[in-house]
Amino acid sequence: MRLDDSPRSGRPGRAAGNTRGTELSALLGRAARGDGDAFEAVCRHIAPPVFGMVRSVVRDLSQSEEVAQEVLVEVWQSASRFDRSRGSAMAWVMTIAHRRAVDRVRSEHRLAERELRAASFAVAYDDVVEEAEASLDRERVRRCLRSLTELQREAITLAYYGGHTHRQVAELLGVAIGTVSTRMRDGLIRLRDCMGVGRED
Amino acid sequence: MRTRRPEPHTLAGAYALDALTGADRTRFERHLARCEQCAREIASLREATARLGAAAAAEPPAGLTERALAAAARTRQLPPVTRDPARRWPGRHAAAAGAAGRAVRPLRRAWMPRLALAVAVAAVVLAGFLGLAARSAQHQLQQDQSRSHGIAAVLTARDAHMLTAPVRTGGTATVVMSGREHALVFAAAGLRALPSSRCYELWLMGPAGDEPAAMVPTPRQGMTGPVLASGLRAGDRLGLTVEPAGGSRRPTSPVILQLAL
Repeated sequence: MRLDDSPRSGRPGRAAGNTRGTELSALLGRAARGDGDAFEAVCRHIAPPVFGMVRSVVRDLSQSEEVAQEVLVEVWQSASRFDRSRGSAMAWVMTIAHRRAVDRVRSEHRLAERELRAASFAVAYDDVVEEAEASLDRERVRRCLRSLTELQREAITLAYYGGHTHRQVAELLGVAIGTVSTRMRDGLIRLRDCMGVGRED
Repeated sequence: MRTRRPEPHTLAGAYALDALTGADRTRFERHLARCEQCAREIASLREATARLGAAAAAEPPAGLTERALAAAARTRQLPPVTRDPARRWPGRHAAAAGAAGRAVRPLRRAWMPRLALAVAVAAVVLAGFLGLAARSAQHQLQQDQSRSHGIAAVLTARDAHMLTAPVRTGGTATVVMSGREHALVFAAAGLRALPSSRCYELWLMGPAGDEPAAMVPTPRQGMTGPVLASGLRAGDRLGLTVEPAGGSRRPTSPVILQLAL
């Protein structure tokens, strides 16, 4: 393991400010080869979305921080497994982060408490959307979410931000599991197309 | 709310949202492994879920990045996955012969002079093991005895060496290894209980990639093992992950214990 100041690593400072898309995947590639500066730049870029998303799922602040830190370390550890032909670096990172966040809430013995929280989920979702008003990207996500049918939107947000399984979502919404599954898929396809990301070719 | 089993493909959205668990997830992943189109669809849907996540971005607490950098500096990176058709589970032993290309690091490291300790562990572990063997059916006995012999060989090896480390999700793992026997014995206390659809799996993680080493049996009264893993080579690390019941060919979840051997 080395996190050294290798001569090829350059200065991460500027890159960290507006790292996007291909730049992030290039930085990940350097991090995979043990470049600590590149990893630091990766962290600066991904820490806010990772932490924010994890917190919206896990809720508890100190646990969210713990999970977010685990995610960053996992990104470092498995950077060599990122395959840019399979999707964007951000999607890879957020997939790791979301898995860890839901693993954490599912392993907690707090089912009853979480059920209660789910009942008042409308509020939590509004919080997320509220905070989301800051940037254009967020505005777009919000607009795209609004373009879904209510059932699609609820199924997706309960699963993604609520960390619920599709069976739990079906129970919460009082609809059949098959219906929830198709709404999740149709809704995500619509979101994807609305956001103009990751079309299949 | 039970309906007839849906077309696997309709579960792509739920899967991309990490909303499938247990048998639902295992079944879908089995389908996914054979369906290139599904894999592409999942990848494209994950671009959308990533945006949902990023929309919740928030200022991280002070020091988060610094702590992650410090932790990363203590964490060895995984090697890239290489496609090598020769290395197939369970052909590890066969593959070992052709391992010329592997970077060989001498098995060094503080070999414990504490033979007494190893013997004590051996006694405890063997007692438990023989108790189990006594209950098993006659035809199983022979197999168990040879495994038991393998375990004894590691525990009594002159170079037997013990390592203990906490498991990230709870519990403590103890490993006795012998470079001479090319094998190790794994035991653990207090591992978190898993649903029946998941199990713990051990991996030998070497310079050439990760290979399944052994399935870890369900804990009894909080105690797990002993498990014998052989085919150990220089430079290998031991990893532990949670996998779908029945095990995986490659780790599919984060490593919760990693020991340099």
